[in-house]
Amino acid sequence: MMTTSNKPRNLLLTLFLLATAAMLSACSKPKGGQQLSASARDTTLVVAMLGDADYLNPVIGSSVTSANISGLIYPSLLQSEFDTSTGLLNYLALEKSLRPVTRGADGARSPKGALARSWSMAPDHKSITYILRSDALWEDGKPVVAGDFKFAYRMYGNPVIASPRQQYLAELLGAEKGAVDFDRAIETPNDTTLVFHFHKPVPEHLALFHTSLTPLPEHVWKEVKPQEFRESKLNMRPVGSGPYRLAGWSKQQEVTLSSNATCVLPKPGNIRRIMFRVVPDYTVRLTQLQTGAVDVVENVKPEDFGAVRKANPGIEVRTVGLRVFDYVGWSNIDHDWYHKTGKVRPHPLFGSPAVRVALTHAIDREAIIDGYLGSYGTVCNTDISPSLKWAYDDTIKPHGYDPALAAMMLEQEGWIPGPDGIRQKNGRKFSFTLYTNAGNDRRNYACVVIQQNLREIGIDCRIEMQESNVFFENLQSRNLDAWMAGWSIGLEIDPLDVWGSDLEKSRFNFTGYRNPRIEQLSELAKSKMRIEDARPYWVEYQQILHRDQPVTFLYWIRETHGFNRRIQGAVLNISGTFYNIDDWTLKPSANAAP
Amino acid sequence: MATYILRRLLIAVPLVFGVLTLTFFIIRLAPGDPAAFFIQPGISPNVAEQIRQQYGLNDPIPIQYLKWLGNVLHGDFGRSFSRAQQPVFDVISEALPVTMSIAVLTLVANFVFGIVIGVISAVRQNSFLDRFLTVTALFFYSMPEFWFALMMIILFALKLPLFPVSGLNEVGAESYGPFGFFLDRIWHLALPVTVLSINGAAGIARYVRGSMLEVIRQDYIRTARAKGLSERAVILKHALRNAMLPVVTLMGSSLPFIFSGALFIEVIFAFPGMGRVTVEAIFARDYPLIIANTFVSGTLIVLGNLMADVMYAVVDPRIKLN
Repeated sequence: MMTTSNKPRNLLLTLFLLATAAMLSACSKPKGGQQLSASARDTTLVVAMLGDADYLNPVIGSSVTSANISGLIYPSLLQSEFDTSTGLLNYLALEKSLRPVTRGADGARSPKGALARSWSMAPDHKSITYILRSDALWEDGKPVVAGDFKFAYRMYGNPVIASPRQQYLAELLGAEKGAVDFDRAIETPNDTTLVFHFHKPVPEHLALFHTSLTPLPEHVWKEVKPQEFRESKLNMRPVGSGPYRLAGWSKQQEVTLSSNATCVLPKPGNIRRIMFRVVPDYTVRLTQLQTGAVDVVENVKPEDFGAVRKANPGIEVRTVGLRVFDYVGWSNIDHDWYHKTGKVRPHPLFGSPAVRVALTHAIDREAIIDGYLGSYGTVCNTDISPSLKWAYDDTIKPHGYDPALAAMMLEQEGWIPGPDGIRQKNGRKFSFTLYTNAGNDRRNYACVVIQQNLREIGIDCRIEMQESNVFFENLQSRNLDAWMAGWSIGLEIDPLDVWGSDLEKSRFNFTGYRNPRIEQLSELAKSKMRIEDARPYWVEYQQILHRDQPVTFLYWIRETHGFNRRIQGAVLNISGTFYNIDDWTLKPSANAAP
Repeated sequence: MATYILRRLLIAVPLVFGVLTLTFFIIRLAPGDPAAFFIQPGISPNVAEQIRQQYGLNDPIPIQYLKWLGNVLHGDFGRSFSRAQQPVFDVISEALPVTMSIAVLTLVANFVFGIVIGVISAVRQNSFLDRFLTVTALFFYSMPEFWFALMMIILFALKLPLFPVSGLNEVGAESYGPFGFFLDRIWHLALPVTVLSINGAAGIARYVRGSMLEVIRQDYIRTARAKGLSERAVILKHALRNAMLPVVTLMGSSLPFIFSGALFIEVIFAFPGMGRVTVEAIFARDYPLIIANTFVSGTLIVLGNLMADVMYAVVDPRIKLN
């Protein structure tokens, strides 16, 4: 009997030993590892990202992550600066700027990173000439010349390469006929002179915006055939000339940049390495921010701020905005009828502007903001952001939460409560499904509040979540009557894609809203050579949208990012979290070796 | 036996092929568009069209199928849409080692711990130890993996910072030298492998206990004891071998897991493994990558089943394969 009881004990002992061995092998490492990395950490910035970069090639990179990383590797023609007091973008060359530089103000940038010394706009606004500096070198030692820009623009414009930035070439000579005539549109009389020719007068700010795409080293890329451009192995070994160079890229894990010693553009502070790590899970990103394993986590949810700050006082929450808003879309036209006949008639429920205004009055936007976003949300009136102060109309009074007024307006429109409490008109019940994409807590929360609000005034609203791809396809093919979605606006105001009356051309006019005045105003605004002169048009534009409520604009969202306090000099604004990342420095940790 | 295996392999070819054909059509019927990412304001409407043209998605589906068929018969599964035009097998061969190292460690731990716990429970049936192990095993078995993983992270990475939160290596691990790098990797794998194997071992332990209990009541076990064999020899040599039959099936069916990956663990611990490749490919409507994944996992399921059948015949002489 003794033996029987001994055997399992032996097994247990073995098991215990195994476990201990595993623990020991595991524990012996961290000590060495942490010591080693403590000094390395003082010169290394770690940024958490949701997904990997696609291409570290400015011509075809399409994600924001790719653009952020490419921006550190490649040089730029101009530096751009966002002026928070006006909401205008400023462009800087070494010896010239579009507007006076906002020295000392939040967001001021030094022009030292620009490749252009200066530029001159032709009096007829049909060409722009840049004078480039001659001392900038590609990583392999070859100088950066005007030809590199011309070469890159040919790549941007090549339909086989399918660059997501080909829109930037829309004003170049030849583009009006369908294909840019590069030989005439871009001239390089010598290595430091670069001339762009346009087919129509272009405002200076737009010309600067559209001609400052990132160059590629021609001598590296010229042998690559366009059809092999996306597959080329060179995409894994980008040759840039910016403050950082690519040191390593493990796909789906991390991108490592190291500072570029040969760079004549200003070198970064004391950050020798920047690592972009892929951490797909939100909770884990947050935990890593708390443990200090990463320094920057974008889009931290407001409900997590308290816990993060409590767990690690060395973390601060920084905000950027306002660029993103959510809205409830109402189809203004009867989509079924339009699909069948190609003709337009008002939607039976949402076709009348008065009904849509009533719906906006019925929705308690403040309650959604208080309940979810807190101080990180603001009521949204139209799609022109309050951050773009030069265009924003601050005299508009929001349609406040007023269920009684909403009910009265609906009754005036003929929507009378039926026996079951649901309003009806001509036998049609006010009942619909509100669609949104699955997996967004904020929209989920807002949908439930909206459903409740609408029920109170006798409107039956069901909620359905769809997988993002399915939802987007349904939106595009205009299959939904009501939906909740969001927009992230560009820094240039260009609303025709969303509100243009030609429903076949305006790909994002999901509502079917049509108002010729909106188009006129956009065209008038765009024709002004000074952007500030367009303000009256944009003010009228906002008043029309506010009056017609083609959608119920809900709230602007202040994006919130978690930063480790050891990062110094970071300026965040609407043009991005990593707006001035090459100016950041790291505060050394207290226990670091001297 | 050899003819049996050969016959099964020959049947497997049209089977896998049928699966691929079905997948080809089903994913194209699903709503969504691989070029959808390029349909956004600020991007020229031409881009999505140019991308579709490049991917060959503008042809009618039967033509697309014929082209695809031709390529596949030449061994070319194409290039990934969503991962920078990498050849799909490059994507898979980058993800496979990560998945396999986790899976192999997990499977070894699963079976070792599962069998040990199962045997102890069976030998000491109804003792306190048995009840304790049974309840504990059930406790872990019924726990959702993703939740368990997050709890382990909070406990052992945040509250007691013993292990890293995620990733495959520490920042700057390249400077540790090959051995240090290896140890760093093991240190990073400790939590995920623990999560996966505690869950798996608990299940296997239940199987082994049940099967072991049946075996130790058999006459030949009494005979073995009667002829004076040590208890150790009785349990390990006579009983365990026979009790292993159902476990062998489990081993065969675990084979696809080695290659398909554990999605939750990969997402939570930020490992670039096969689970994430598969799911991200589906969300991005990356047709070539979805098909290549189906090919890999389909083939392995067929092979895993075949292996389980063969192993049956090897361990149990009563089973004849014809």
